[in-house]
Amino acid sequence: MQYEENIRLALHGLIDHKFRSFLTMLGIIFGVASVITMLSIGEGAKRAAIAKYQDLGVNNIIIREKKLSDQELEEVRAKFSQGLSIQDASVIKEIVPGVIRTASQAEISSEAKFSDKSTKSTIIGITPNYVEMLNYKTAKGNFITTDHYKRNLKVCVLGAGVAATLFRNEDPMGKFVKIEDQWMEVVGVLKSKNLFTETVGELAARDLNTDIYVPLTTFLKRFTRENLLSSEIQQITVQVDNSDRLVETSQLINAILQRHHFNNSDYNIVIPFELLRQEEKERQIYNMLLGAIAAISLLVGGIGIMNIMLATVMERTREIGIRRAIGARKSDIMSQFVSEAVAISITGGLIGVFLGISLSFTVSWFTDVETFIRLYSIVIAFGFSVLVGIGFGYLPAKNAANLKPVDSIRYE
Amino acid sequence: MLIEIKDLTKNYVMGDVEVPALMDINLQIQKNEYLAIMGPSGSGKSTLMNILGCLDTPTTGQYLFNKTDVSSLNDDQLSIMRNKEIGFIFQNFNLLPRLNALQNVELPMIYAGIKSDIRRERALMALDRVGLSERLLHKSSEMSGGQRQRVAIARALVSKPGILLADEPTGALDSKTGEEIMLLFKELHADGNTIILITHEQEIANHANRTIFIKDGRIHSDLQNSIKELHMNDHIPTNIQHTNLPL
Repeated sequence: MQYEENIRLALHGLIDHKFRSFLTMLGIIFGVASVITMLSIGEGAKRAAIAKYQDLGVNNIIIREKKLSDQELEEVRAKFSQGLSIQDASVIKEIVPGVIRTASQAEISSEAKFSDKSTKSTIIGITPNYVEMLNYKTAKGNFITTDHYKRNLKVCVLGAGVAATLFRNEDPMGKFVKIEDQWMEVVGVLKSKNLFTETVGELAARDLNTDIYVPLTTFLKRFTRENLLSSEIQQITVQVDNSDRLVETSQLINAILQRHHFNNSDYNIVIPFELLRQEEKERQIYNMLLGAIAAISLLVGGIGIMNIMLATVMERTREIGIRRAIGARKSDIMSQFVSEAVAISITGGLIGVFLGISLSFTVSWFTDVETFIRLYSIVIAFGFSVLVGIGFGYLPAKNAANLKPVDSIRYE
Repeated sequence: MLIEIKDLTKNYVMGDVEVPALMDINLQIQKNEYLAIMGPSGSGKSTLMNILGCLDTPTTGQYLFNKTDVSSLNDDQLSIMRNKEIGFIFQNFNLLPRLNALQNVELPMIYAGIKSDIRRERALMALDRVGLSERLLHKSSEMSGGQRQRVAIARALVSKPGILLADEPTGALDSKTGEEIMLLFKELHADGNTIILITHEQEIANHANRTIFIKDGRIHSDLQNSIKELHMNDHIPTNIQHTNLPL
């Protein structure tokens, strides 16, 4: 029997019993929709995580000063550790294999003022190779240069949030901002960055848009510390050539620092990439759970289809007998009923895809949760709905085909 | 010779007992014959019809249709046989209720794999032959009994079958409509069709040229009728005792 006849028949079968067909497809609809929605939520989370870690640098190891109370700080100093220093950074660069470059930064919390406006900010003194190591893009001007660094110039680069607060619609470039009684010339403004709404390892959550960057040399010269016991710098970022060797390298760094700090662990070593991998592993578990839910859902949908088809076949015993009497072969009857089952599951699949896409958009529209729909998820979900139709339509179709024409034609 | 049945038996298995439905059937049918198979209920006439119509296969013996040994055919081959050679006409019409008249008549051709434009043409021709040119797009629920039977006859004709096999064709019709249908069968016979009527009514059987009586699973008699007019109020069979029984 020709394919188009089958398709016509199948669609008519569906339309003739709209309500019943709809109820039958509910399982498929929800199965497909939930797969697409959950996959898109998962994908959104994955992309957000990657973006987050990319900001920190995929090949980076971050050595961060531990936040200690004054008393703890006294004890550590008494045990001869001076905390993180620029020397630590240069030793690491020299000795540790695979290190491409290191960047050091010192920080204080302060205020920045421009004319009548002021805003709280973290002032960060950095070495110029910072920009190569981290994903900081400027919206205006340039980042701190080697020239600025070498000449201890009083220049600064503003975070997007600071620029917006202090300058509103004015152009900040070339203007002077007052930080800690120092007038600093604005040479650049950064693009807005994603907020760190959670801690990454031991890196505290922060809004990077409220940072102001100045050359480290200028920082050390011009800004005084609140606490005389503070270490020279607060963070060293180490860029490694091969992400496979991050853990090894970090162990070496730790050994060096332990020596320099006289076995005082007044620092933390954070490997963003490893943390990302960890999160990825957890997401695998989530994905598998999701897969199980979807599979069960589609299974239930399939059973629904099989149930309805079995009843349908019984209802149409006479019709099957007539078709067989006028020349339908078993295979003709099989394909007729499998087509009907597939028609139901495909229609359910299409509705499910539509629903899934809508839900994904709704979720990202109304909540903070990001979603991202990938084509493969739609193809897979839809493909499964087709398979379910074929798989669960098979048994009823086989039953129909095996009915004896002699008996079924007399069925009441 | 169109049909030859040799030493045919058919047994049904009910539990662990074998129930004989047909025994020692020997029968020959030529092209363009018009014959009736008569018998009381339980006589085996339905079983014989099923076998003639390739809906069932004999337990022993041979059924040759146009020299083809039907008894050795598999399920698919039987289906093809039914599609091409057997035109069924049933007492309760057996049209598909969700299809209209035209679609019902086209159905056998769909299973034969015939293209849609040719199907349409042939279906229209068959419907015209049975006197139905209107109401083609109506479903059977929208038609009278007589019209439905005509559609069924058109469906039976459409593959130009070897035999038309009619099981109590007027059983569900009033006497006037029944007569119209029997008149149609007469015309179809004149067209060259081979017609086999299954009936328990003598009046209907009288329209045929030959009557086979079946009783208790065996052929009781096989007689040529010599009539050529229908006597509606006259129930006396006017057969001449010309027996066709093998000796």
